[in-house]
Amino acid sequence: MEKIRLKVQIACAALLNLGIFQWQTICFPVLNCHSCPTSIFACPIGTIGQFVGLGLIPLSVVGIVAIAGLTIGRLFCGWVCPFGLVQDLLYKIPYIKFDIPRWTRFIKYGVFASLVVAVPFFLTPAFPAYFCRLCPVATIESAIPWAIINGTTDIISLGIRLGILFAIAVAAMGHRRFFCKVICPLGAMLSLLNRFALVFPERKKGCVDCGACNKVCPMETKTGESNFGVYDKAPEECISCLECRDKCPTGSIRLWG
Amino acid sequence: MTRKILLAILLILVLAMTVYGGFFRKFLVYDNLEKFDRLKNVGITIKVPGYENASQDFAPESQWFSEPDVVRAMTFEGIKRYKDGKLISNYPDLRMLKGRIPCPT
Repeated sequence: MEKIRLKVQIACAALLNLGIFQWQTICFPVLNCHSCPTSIFACPIGTIGQFVGLGLIPLSVVGIVAIAGLTIGRLFCGWVCPFGLVQDLLYKIPYIKFDIPRWTRFIKYGVFASLVVAVPFFLTPAFPAYFCRLCPVATIESAIPWAIINGTTDIISLGIRLGILFAIAVAAMGHRRFFCKVICPLGAMLSLLNRFALVFPERKKGCVDCGACNKVCPMETKTGESNFGVYDKAPEECISCLECRDKCPTGSIRLWG
Repeated sequence: MTRKILLAILLILVLAMTVYGGFFRKFLVYDNLEKFDRLKNVGITIKVPGYENASQDFAPESQWFSEPDVVRAMTFEGIKRYKDGKLISNYPDLRMLKGRIPCPT
């Protein structure tokens, strides 16, 4: 399943950035910067920030993200998101692996509330602390290509962006899906709806509570207290990668919850 | 069962939200030039180099935009490039949306 997922991720990253046409009236619920010259869809986080800067809520954008969250949960994070692919590849690099405290995954809700909503609303989307001006995805897909194409006079802000990208890349080498767990504001939005998702890994009756699923889970969700989905303690983090299903000795995990 | 009922209610709500936002919601967007003209009419002078000479060439472009149009205007597709390399919106200044206090500068 891991190999299939890798192929799907690569195909989706290519498809989302084909650049043969642009259909940016629609947001696709993954973090894929719409300032990239080749991106096809608009980024929901960038659009929400811009609308909030105008004192408005983009109903269609929030609606699309919510529909995705309610139907397939964070499956897009695991199978489609280009930056998820980048992090999965970074983690394969031999490097010191480390754990992070469980509370750190609440940081992403703060990032959404402060850098995506509060900063553009109370200040402006042009403010340097606005999320898109720090986003590592925007740095890879937009800031670096535009700096190469046009050159840049704003060395300081480009330097800050590259520094943040480097720090996140190093963290992703040491901890699996670091950005998704701790920082991603889109992941925060989808996490809130993940508990209600239609498509969601679930334990069947044959489960013997061996914990094999916990050991391979990239999002470090835990199981074992109730039968609400496979992951009982942090179902909002599950990205439906199905690595748990591959490792389950009794084949007791199915995707349709 | 509770989860399924909640899911159904939430899905209906977000579907309604998406349809309303995607097909029915409209925004009135003012053009900067019209803003200048309005301010001029109430006796405020704004000096923009070349505006007096070039103003005849531009008609005010304030118009209603759908939400997807506004989304597009905020993205790469909505911007074009001047010869000096600066980026500018293909759409009227979206900060001038109705209800937002216009900045006099």
